[in-house]
Amino acid sequence: MEEPRIGVYVCWCGTNISKTVDVEQVTAAVSKLPHVIIARNYKYMCSDPGQDLILKDIREHQLNRVVVSACSPRIHELTFRKVLVNAGLNPYLFEMANIREQVSWVHDDRDIATGKATSLVKAAIQRVAHHEPLEKRRVDIHPATLIIGGGITGLTAAMEIADSGNQVHLIEKSGRLGGMVSLLHQTHPHLTAGNELIQPLIDKAQPHPKVRVWLNSQIEEVTGYVGNFRARIRSGEEVEELDCGNIIVATGTKPFDPSQIPEYGYGMLPGVITSLEFEEMLRKGKIVTKDGESPCDIAIIHCVGSRNMEYHPYCSRVCCTTALKFANQIRAALPDAGIYQLYADMRSFGKGCEEFYMRTSRRGVIFMMFDQKGKLPVVKPNNTGGRGRLLISTRELLSGEEIEIPADLVILMVASEAREDARETAHLTGISLCGNQFFIEKHPKLDPVATTTDGVFIAGSCQGPKDIADSVSQARAAAARVLASILCGSVEVEVTTAVVNDKVCCGCQTCISVCPYHAIHFDEEKRVSEVNEILCKGCGTCGSACPTGAIHARHFTDDQILSQIEGLLSPITLKAMEMAMED
Amino acid sequence: MEPNTKNHKPKLKLAVYWAAACGGCCVSVLDVHEKLYQVTELADLVFWPIALDIKYKDVEALPHGFIDVTLFNGAIRNSENQYMAMLLREKSKIMVAYGSCAHLGGIPGLANFSNREAIFDRVYHTSESTVNSTGTIPLPNVEVPEGTLHIPVFFDEVKPLDKVVCVDYYLPGCPPQTERLLEVFTAIATGAELPSKKSVIGAWDKTQCDECERKKSDKKTIKRFFRPFEVEDDGETCFLEQGILCMGPATRGGCGYRCIKGNAPCRGCYGPPPDVHDPGAKMMSAIGTMIDSNAPEEISEIVDQIADPAGTFYRFSLPASIIRRRIS
Amino acid sequence: MEYQPTIVSFLCNWCSYTGADLAGTSRTKYAPNIRIVRVMCSGRVDPTFVMKAFREGADGVLICGCHPGDCHYHEGNYKCLRRYHLIRKYIEQMGISPERLRLEWISASEGKQFAELADEMTADLLKLGPVNIKNVLEEV
Repeated sequence: MEEPRIGVYVCWCGTNISKTVDVEQVTAAVSKLPHVIIARNYKYMCSDPGQDLILKDIREHQLNRVVVSACSPRIHELTFRKVLVNAGLNPYLFEMANIREQVSWVHDDRDIATGKATSLVKAAIQRVAHHEPLEKRRVDIHPATLIIGGGITGLTAAMEIADSGNQVHLIEKSGRLGGMVSLLHQTHPHLTAGNELIQPLIDKAQPHPKVRVWLNSQIEEVTGYVGNFRARIRSGEEVEELDCGNIIVATGTKPFDPSQIPEYGYGMLPGVITSLEFEEMLRKGKIVTKDGESPCDIAIIHCVGSRNMEYHPYCSRVCCTTALKFANQIRAALPDAGIYQLYADMRSFGKGCEEFYMRTSRRGVIFMMFDQKGKLPVVKPNNTGGRGRLLISTRELLSGEEIEIPADLVILMVASEAREDARETAHLTGISLCGNQFFIEKHPKLDPVATTTDGVFIAGSCQGPKDIADSVSQARAAAARVLASILCGSVEVEVTTAVVNDKVCCGCQTCISVCPYHAIHFDEEKRVSEVNEILCKGCGTCGSACPTGAIHARHFTDDQILSQIEGLLSPITLKAMEMAMED
Repeated sequence: MEPNTKNHKPKLKLAVYWAAACGGCCVSVLDVHEKLYQVTELADLVFWPIALDIKYKDVEALPHGFIDVTLFNGAIRNSENQYMAMLLREKSKIMVAYGSCAHLGGIPGLANFSNREAIFDRVYHTSESTVNSTGTIPLPNVEVPEGTLHIPVFFDEVKPLDKVVCVDYYLPGCPPQTERLLEVFTAIATGAELPSKKSVIGAWDKTQCDECERKKSDKKTIKRFFRPFEVEDDGETCFLEQGILCMGPATRGGCGYRCIKGNAPCRGCYGPPPDVHDPGAKMMSAIGTMIDSNAPEEISEIVDQIADPAGTFYRFSLPASIIRRRIS
Repeated sequence: MEYQPTIVSFLCNWCSYTGADLAGTSRTKYAPNIRIVRVMCSGRVDPTFVMKAFREGADGVLICGCHPGDCHYHEGNYKCLRRYHLIRKYIEQMGISPERLRLEWISASEGKQFAELADEMTADLLKLGPVNIKNVLEEV
């Protein structure tokens, strides 16, 4: 291996790093380490001038390794790898030290933070000296796309892709397409009918020559990798395997079961219904109580299961505006009915929604605030013989008064929650779950429909509660990502795979069952194990299972990690730093 | 020096020395049997305490680099071992760490689970066979009327040879296979090209499984570990696949898988293959991976069936491991 | 100088490293004693890494992976769990308290839990005191 010539760049990240870490001192302390040719610091390494600085140094000082000490590699590793490529270096001759998320944002003491940052940079320097150039590989993309979920998100993505002339397999677990939207009578804030939105899509998708709709079907297994997945689909007794290049997961959510909240009496009191049950009532065309009478008073309770630490901490995003929609629909049907909104906070965000709130509040709707963190409103039968079959007692937060609200019908605005099969779907497709069991996107801001598995995208409310507009946007975004990869025809695959040194491999076959992707097979003739680098996803588990050290986990080799550990723990005394400063 | 014909190389000067060792390595040299004549044709034995009456002072008197090859067996346990290692290093052109003890610390290296104080206490005070009413323990220097008596200083830690002197080659094994010795010796004596310095010779880069003829599959999952006496070996299936710990996968070949051929699992005396950073960790990792359970309690129970992990994975190599000895 | 433990932590890229990043982006303060090594999967953690960390002077080693069932690579974390039990037994034999090695599951959303874990382990190691491995190994 050539003698390492390392350039080290310490980022200030404006004041994000420099406020807590003495970047000058870090730079000075590492500048005298073996193989370090140049060490600098700069305000924003990721900015164009920051990147140019590295580019220029690589050329001027014939650097062959680069360390950037800045934010998390999960944010800017690719940015800086590109700089190396532009300078004619292999992108893997690069290492990042994460001194923002792991140091400046989590520690206060400037001396300690500076010492720790120095250790992390030193570890990165020692590691990068052992980096090896790796060559990228491209694989062809199979043009078919598998879409899981036949709701508005799945259908929209399916049409977008199919209309461009590419095959789509649309897998729906239930016996009908349309998902949640087809259950909605009208949608907020424009009061468009749910059916008006979804039916044209269904009518187009069903006969589309490029869409194969699988009803009552489920994915049993997904194997392969980006561009070349193979899915096993079960429809009843029938099992079929199909190939596809990309997968869009659009499995949606399910409604929260409010019988868990004893205060609301759902399931016990006949007048208490969920928002979805009310939609059904609206679709049938008549707002009635259990015994078919027209209700005089209707109460709508918000945040049922949402924004409540006992159930779900998050906001379900669509309930406030749906509740406003209900008020409008009730007012239209029952001009004299009392309409009460019991809310925790009104969240009518989104285009046209605040205006919708204003309009609704002028239509004789009474808004009352309750304390979601304190005592919840309690619904009970009205035994007084007075108005209302039910009574809701609560402390109205704005007036501070204990009040009782009469109601013949109580509508619970139930939360959106992850489907019970979310974990299973995540497993099959290689997606991670967040704490609330929703799927995690690759980056919340910069890559919201991709996942950490290449070729697998998420769209709609399976990623988190969403309204129709946001779900459709995501569907089209995911479709655009898929189409871009189909258009390109091939994709770069990860090269940080495992590789077997057949001069050392003894053929014990320990590694074979370790691999979850069946990427290792035993060559009977050579009597050694071999890694299929396309199937390998680079977890490195075989590398540490191999008793001979024959398996190298590329870019995470023993040498690299052991040098990093050495660097992390090598003593960097303040005195050494001071001496470096004096130089 | 004897007159030689033109194409006759001068005879090699060979030394064999034992430090902290059992004597098995010296016996393995004797195991050349009638080939000893071949050896003596090519070499003069200048120093070999078990066979020749040559004193340390005779070695001290030799010029630097006088000995061509020293086969040094045994670990460094005390100051005498260390002194002789340094002396022979100075006098030898090629220093070979011969056998597991010199190579990796060997069986004496297991003393690194203890320390000098505890060893002395056990040996001179508490062992069942000790009668020591005066509580005497060995002291390096003792005054007697005639002067001061010295005995070697017992170190707190056992070390492999390369921790005290520079080693040119390692010839592993407990003891090394005699054929390997002869091959190496002949190569040196005939001036054949030798591998780069510091490398292991007389052993393969590939580990035991490469030669082992037992049936192997990828079904290396273990629900229960058996000690060899607890289970009837079928004589033909990979030991690991029968739940018997065998260090074969992580141990260099070269011995002719003698133990396995004798239906005993490999214990690891030939040491780890090249480029391994710790002699026991890889096998520990492989064995851990094979445990067939995902439940913490069950895993813990299965692990407990390995009575002595450190002694199992580092039977011959504790002093050459990353954490060389017991820390407290 | 007052003893401050040093912890080397191996975090899997998908869950735990992301969780530690989340602690950062949420500005959750935690003990600065922890130093992180990123691996793609906790299944990559070789006992050699743990030994090396102790040998170079770590007072504790923390391995974090995805929660059981959530491993990005399906079951690498279980491989890690199995080795972990064996390594603990080994280090105990070597005179290093097994409490100094911990394996915990941290998901991508558990930034707070990561910070708490760092604090908790630092406090535990403060009570245990230093390993002093360098003193022991270098004096002989």
